[in-house]
Amino acid sequence: MTGKERIAAVLCGRETDKIPWLPFAGVHAGKLAGFNAREVSTDPDKLLKSLLEVHRIYKPDGQPVMFDLQIEAEILGCDLVWSDSGPPTVSSHPLADTQEIPDRIPASHEGRLGLELEAMKAMKQQVGAETALYGLCCGPFTLASHLRGTNIFMDMVLDPEYVNQLLAYTCRVSMQMADYFIDAGMDVVAVVDPLISQISPDHFGEFMEEPFAQLFAHIRKQGAFSSFFVCGNATMNIEPMCRTAPDSISVDENVDLAAAKQITDRYDITIGGNIPLTTVMLYGNQQDNMKSTVDLIDSVTPGRLIVAPGCDMPYDVPIENTLAIEQAVHETETVRTMVENYQSSEIEFTGTLPDYGNLQRPLIEVFTLDSATCAACTYMMAAAEEVKVFLEDSIDVVEYKYTLPENIARCREMGIKQLPSIYINGRLAYSSIIPSREELVQRIKEAQS
Amino acid sequence: MADLKALSEFLQKGKAKEVKELTQQAVDEGLGPQEILEGGLMAGMDVIGKKFKNNEVFVPEVLIAARAMNAGMEVLKPLLADAGVKARGTVVIGTVKGDLHDIGKNLVAMMMEGKGLTVVDLGTDVPAEKFVEAVNANNAQIVACSALLTTTMKEMEQVVKAFQDAGTRDQVKVMVGGAPVTDSFCSSIGADVYSPDAASAAEAAVELCDA
Repeated sequence: MTGKERIAAVLCGRETDKIPWLPFAGVHAGKLAGFNAREVSTDPDKLLKSLLEVHRIYKPDGQPVMFDLQIEAEILGCDLVWSDSGPPTVSSHPLADTQEIPDRIPASHEGRLGLELEAMKAMKQQVGAETALYGLCCGPFTLASHLRGTNIFMDMVLDPEYVNQLLAYTCRVSMQMADYFIDAGMDVVAVVDPLISQISPDHFGEFMEEPFAQLFAHIRKQGAFSSFFVCGNATMNIEPMCRTAPDSISVDENVDLAAAKQITDRYDITIGGNIPLTTVMLYGNQQDNMKSTVDLIDSVTPGRLIVAPGCDMPYDVPIENTLAIEQAVHETETVRTMVENYQSSEIEFTGTLPDYGNLQRPLIEVFTLDSATCAACTYMMAAAEEVKVFLEDSIDVVEYKYTLPENIARCREMGIKQLPSIYINGRLAYSSIIPSREELVQRIKEAQS
Repeated sequence: MADLKALSEFLQKGKAKEVKELTQQAVDEGLGPQEILEGGLMAGMDVIGKKFKNNEVFVPEVLIAARAMNAGMEVLKPLLADAGVKARGTVVIGTVKGDLHDIGKNLVAMMMEGKGLTVVDLGTDVPAEKFVEAVNANNAQIVACSALLTTTMKEMEQVVKAFQDAGTRDQVKVMVGGAPVTDSFCSSIGADVYSPDAASAAEAAVELCDA
C-alpha cells in the first residue's frame, strides 16, 4: 500500500498493511533543510524544499503542508510576533474592544495564504500520488479567540448570542479555507482547534457542536476527508467531538489514547496521536521514542489508528528521534525486539573494536536502525557506498544494523547515541543529517591528515 | 443574617452582582472582613480550584468566578487594609520572554489571589531581569514563571540564573508551569516547584509562604 492508500483505508475503517504515520513537521521541517522557522513560514522555495526533505527522510503516510494557525488571523487583522524557532504568535486581537461581527472572508492571494496554497499544489504534484496531504486550517473557536482575545471565554457566559454569531462567522472562514485546500489537492482537511480542551462538554454542546458538524459535513461533501485536531486535556470533550462526525480525531499526550479510542471506536472514527512532544520527542533519546511508540501501539485496540506526534513538533526535535518513531510505526515487531535487546543488561560486547589509531586505510562505519527500511539510514549508507566507489575502493565501509543484538552492544561500547550516524576512523562525523559526497570526501581526507 | 455559604455558592456560579451585594450585606451586619473573605469568597474559589483540577469546570467558569471574587473584593479591600490584615505572601508572576500566552498565567494569578496571596502580574514576554526587579521591589517570596511553548520554556532557566547572578536566589522560590513543562524539567533548570495546574500552583504557593 502507498501511504495515501493507508491513510484513506484507515479513515474508512478498512485494514491496512502497516499502521499509518503522520509526522506533524510544521516549522520543524525547516530543521531538515537548514532553514529557521520564520524562513519556512514566509519563503515559498524554502518551505517546499523543507517539505520535500520531510517526505524523503521521515517517510510519512500523511503529511501536513503547514502547521500554522495564525495564517487566517493575520489576514483578518491580528498582529503577529515572529520567532526563528517556532511558528508566529498572535499579539493583538482586533475584536478585543468591539462586539461587531466581521464579514470579511480571506481571499486566496491574501497574507501568507498564497504561499500555503502554492506549496500545497507543488507537494500534490511531486508527492501527492503516494502520500496523503493534509491541509490544516485554524479551527473556528481558536480563530474566534485570536480575533476576540480571552474575552471570548467570558462572553460564553455573559453574552452567548454574540459567541454564536462570532463562531458562525469563523466557521464560514474555515469552510472557505477548506475549499481552497481541497482545490489545491489536499486529501484531508484538518481543523485544528487547541482551545476546545479549555471548555466544558456543556459549552461544547451549546456553542461548538453545530458549527463543527456543519464544517465536517461541508468537507465531506467536497469529497475530502476531515480531521479534528485538539491539544491539551480534551478528555471530557472526546465524545462531544465525535458527535460532530469528523473522519478522524487527533489528540496530544494529555489525553489517554487508549481510553479515548474506546470512545472513537464506538463512533467509527479514526484516532490519531499522541507521542509526547517534550518529554519523549524533544528531550528523549532514540530508544525512548521507539519504546514510547511501541507501548502506545500496544495500549490501544487494533485498527482505526494513526500514529502521530501529540501536536506540532518543536523545531528542535532531534531528527533521529523522529526516525525512531517512523521505524517503530512501520516496523513495529523489529523495533519491539530492538527495544527489548536494548533494555536487556545481558547483552555484552564480546568482539573487539578496530584499532582506530593504526588503520591501514580509512574506515567508514555506518550505524543504522536498518538501511533496508529506514529512509535516512538508506541514504546514509548509500552516501558511504557512493564515496567508496568515488574513491575507487580505497576506503573500507561497514554497516552495523541496530536490529542485531551484537550491534546494539557495539553501539553501547562506542557510546553511540544517534542512528543513523557515520563514524570515520572511530570518530563521529555525521548523525541524522546525510552528507553530500563532497562533504564526506573532505571529512575523510581531514581524518587521514 | 448574611449567609457565607450562599456567598460562596454565588461566587462559584460567577454571579458578580449577587456576590457584591451579599458581601456588602455581611459587612453591614458586622461580620469582620477577614471572616467574609475566608468563609465566603476564598471558600468559593477553593471549590472552583478543586473542580478545575478535577476537570469538572473549565476556563470560562474559572474566569467568571474570579470576576465575581473581584466584585466582592472591591467591598472588602479597603476594610482589610483598615483592619491591618496582611496577605499570606507575595508572588511575582509572568509569562517568560518571547512568549505571549497569558490564559494559563492569568488562571494561576486568579487562583493565588483566591488563596489570599498578593499577586504582582508582570504580564507576558517578561525578560528575566524584570522578574528580579519586581521581586526586590515587592519583597516577594515567590516568582512564578509561565511558558506555553517548547521554545520559550528554556527561558525559565534564565530566570533562575538571573536570581543567582543577583545573589538573591536563596531568598526566593521559583515556581514554573505551562503545557510543555514537567517536573523533571523543573529540576533540570534548578527551579523549586513545578505545578501541573492553576489550583495546584496556588496551593503550592501558600505552602511555600507558610513554611
